[in-house]
Amino acid sequence: MAELMDPRSFRTALEAAIKGKSANTSPFSIAWAQGKLSRAHLARWAENHFHYVGPFASYLGYVYGRLPEEFTEAKDFLLSNMYEEEIGGDRHTDLLIRFAEACGTTAERVKNPDNMSPTTRGLQSWCYSIAMREDPIVAIAGLVVGLESQVPSIYRRQLPTLREKYRFTEPEVEFFDIHIVSDEIHGERGYQIVLAHANTAELQQRCLKICEIGAEMRLLYTTALYRDYVEADLPMQALDLAA
Amino acid sequence: MPCVLFHKEGQAFAGEVAANTNLVVRAGIRQFPYPHLTYGCGMGKCGKCASRVLSGAEHLPAPNWKENERLGDRIKAGYRLVCQLWISHDIELAQDAPSAVPTAR
Repeated sequence: MAELMDPRSFRTALEAAIKGKSANTSPFSIAWAQGKLSRAHLARWAENHFHYVGPFASYLGYVYGRLPEEFTEAKDFLLSNMYEEEIGGDRHTDLLIRFAEACGTTAERVKNPDNMSPTTRGLQSWCYSIAMREDPIVAIAGLVVGLESQVPSIYRRQLPTLREKYRFTEPEVEFFDIHIVSDEIHGERGYQIVLAHANTAELQQRCLKICEIGAEMRLLYTTALYRDYVEADLPMQALDLAA
Repeated sequence: MPCVLFHKEGQAFAGEVAANTNLVVRAGIRQFPYPHLTYGCGMGKCGKCASRVLSGAEHLPAPNWKENERLGDRIKAGYRLVCQLWISHDIELAQDAPSAVPTAR
């Protein structure tokens, strides 16, 4: 039977649960980092990504409503996270649509849920499901630690390629740029909240499991993007998988 | 490790940060210069984190398109958007009191 871990050991375990399932290892992410995707491939990514990240404030809204009143700091974090996604500066999805348009698709196509793949619909549904049904601290572990905290490392790899190989302008790639700052904050605050409130061995184990599943879900999503939209043009042999 | 000296409303606050640190990220996760640094959107739009660089500016990259858009002529007076800076060298910054910050353009 698992024992209660101290915060340092628990954090290391959370990081290990995500590591190895990182979306950076998917063929789609590798092709992206190698500059081998076309703008049409990136347009399909944007049309799918909108339906995964677009409702992020809604996912968090469910968790916010279910967090006990006395968890003031955790509730404030979620509220601030929702505010920043939607109205703190530019709405994050507006920046995603700006990138999508630069890739050659339209806002109408991006917003149309018929243009997401079944796997993307599965990821979105999983996010709603854990937001509505899991213990709220476990939900924060899954959504914020398992998913959101991965974003800065993914975009740090992808952003230079978008500028240098794909030749997008700075305003066109602002969606990626801002998440390196915002999700560094959100991810770390998510860790702090989970470390503070997962105060039983059972809760810690559930947080670890949901982080692992969250990382797997994101990896599944990006791998499916490759299978659905890229593989026919760019088979695995064309990727330098050691990169 | 870079040393940061941060001036605000007549007081000075000092701290060490890891190389390639963004001070808005640090404040966002409740570490120095929290709670002294005022910031907002973290995306170079609101201008609330604008601060004057008193020393160490030579180690910073040129202002980016967001800083040029948001700060305009204030760049000549040494202002930068702290949310856009990744710090790897010692730096000294001063942030005006909130009432002294010009309205966002």
